[in-house]
Amino acid sequence: MQTLEVISVNLWQTLISLLNLVVLFLIVKHFLYKPVKNVLAKRQAELEEHYTTAEKAQADAEADRLAWEEKLSGANAEADAILQNATELAHNRGDAIVSEAREKADGIVRVAQNEAELERRRATEGIKREIVEVSGAIAEKMLEREVNVEDHRSLIDSFIENIGESDE
Amino acid sequence: MKRKSLGFILADTLYIAMMTLPVLAGLILKILTKPASEGISVTGAQIYFTLPLPIQSLPVTESQINSLIVMITALGICLFLTHGLKTRNISRRQHLVEWAVEKVDAMTLDSMGEYFKGFPPFIMSILLLSALSSLLSLFGLYPPTSDINIVAGWAILVFALITYYKFKCGPLGYVKSFCDPPLLAPLNVISEVATPISMAFRHYGNVLSGSVIGVLIATGLQGLSKIVLGWLPGFFGEFPFLQIGLPAVLSIYFDVFSGCLQAYIFAMLTMMYVSGAFNADEYFARKNKKIKN
Repeated sequence: MQTLEVISVNLWQTLISLLNLVVLFLIVKHFLYKPVKNVLAKRQAELEEHYTTAEKAQADAEADRLAWEEKLSGANAEADAILQNATELAHNRGDAIVSEAREKADGIVRVAQNEAELERRRATEGIKREIVEVSGAIAEKMLEREVNVEDHRSLIDSFIENIGESDE
Repeated sequence: MKRKSLGFILADTLYIAMMTLPVLAGLILKILTKPASEGISVTGAQIYFTLPLPIQSLPVTESQINSLIVMITALGICLFLTHGLKTRNISRRQHLVEWAVEKVDAMTLDSMGEYFKGFPPFIMSILLLSALSSLLSLFGLYPPTSDINIVAGWAILVFALITYYKFKCGPLGYVKSFCDPPLLAPLNVISEVATPISMAFRHYGNVLSGSVIGVLIATGLQGLSKIVLGWLPGFFGEFPFLQIGLPAVLSIYFDVFSGCLQAYIFAMLTMMYVSGAFNADEYFARKNKKIKN
């Protein structure tokens, strides 16, 4: 089989080689550079996205923290206010209960006193009547005649009044 | 680790086959067609058949076939490396391809500047084509870069790019670029023409000389083996034991190191010449003037 000389210039071979380089350039551009550049760009975009989301999340967390702190201090004040209110209310209610109870007790005592007074008066009345009757009977016997109690009521009454007065 | 899907594995297998099978086919073709050589013979590529074309007939040679092998392999590498790209949890091959892309980008930005944003793929393809072509000699195949026509084609493309960027400042700007010191204009023209020639010959000469030295050393070692061990009986006397070892070490230098270095140099020179041809200040001044008018 024949071989070429060590140096043999051939126009067509040169042209084919030139076209080969152009074709390989297109291959490399399309099959190597494009996908790699795409994936690099995609990764860059993803990174940017991650960064922005992370920054946003951090900012959100910071805002949340501040809001909660504010709310927490507000809650302390609120709790204080509630406690104060409750104490005051309890105080007032206790006072009211105590005064009511006192009033009631006073009322009961007064009623009892009244009743006792009434009882005493009734008893006095009863005793008076009995004394009138007894004294009437005694006087009837002594005088041996019927004393008309109705007639002498005023007389006896004044008598008993006098006895009561001298007794008391 | 997540189990890969069957489709993914199948595609991967296809891409690996694209990377390896052409080389295997080239090897088989070479074994079938290569005549047994006697002694030292430094020749060009083997001619398989000749196509009659106008101006000059085209002999389809090993360098043509091997260029095709390199192209398919490069396509396989591109597809394999960019298969299954992800934005996180990236695989080793994605690390590799991202590293390569970023390296070439940085290199191009360093030596060419902002204006040449479209150049990294071109530089990458030069590096891939040149390095893979030279590395074919590792498999015992004829490296297409040791054929002057192949490298000349690339150099002419680079020359076309240089001229294109010189014409960016208008035809007058192109003429003016040669008259930097007006007296040296003829020399400038010569150096302009010499640029692609020197690029082509530098690359071609380096790879070819590596092959030549490899052949020389191997043949020399064969002779030495015959002298030193020839007295041994039978097979031991015939077998060139001294060829084991040293050629492999030399191959590391001439095939791997030199091949990659030449690819790097070719890419570097391309970037330097193309960016040097472009007069950015004048170009933007002209553009601004046009906008104003």
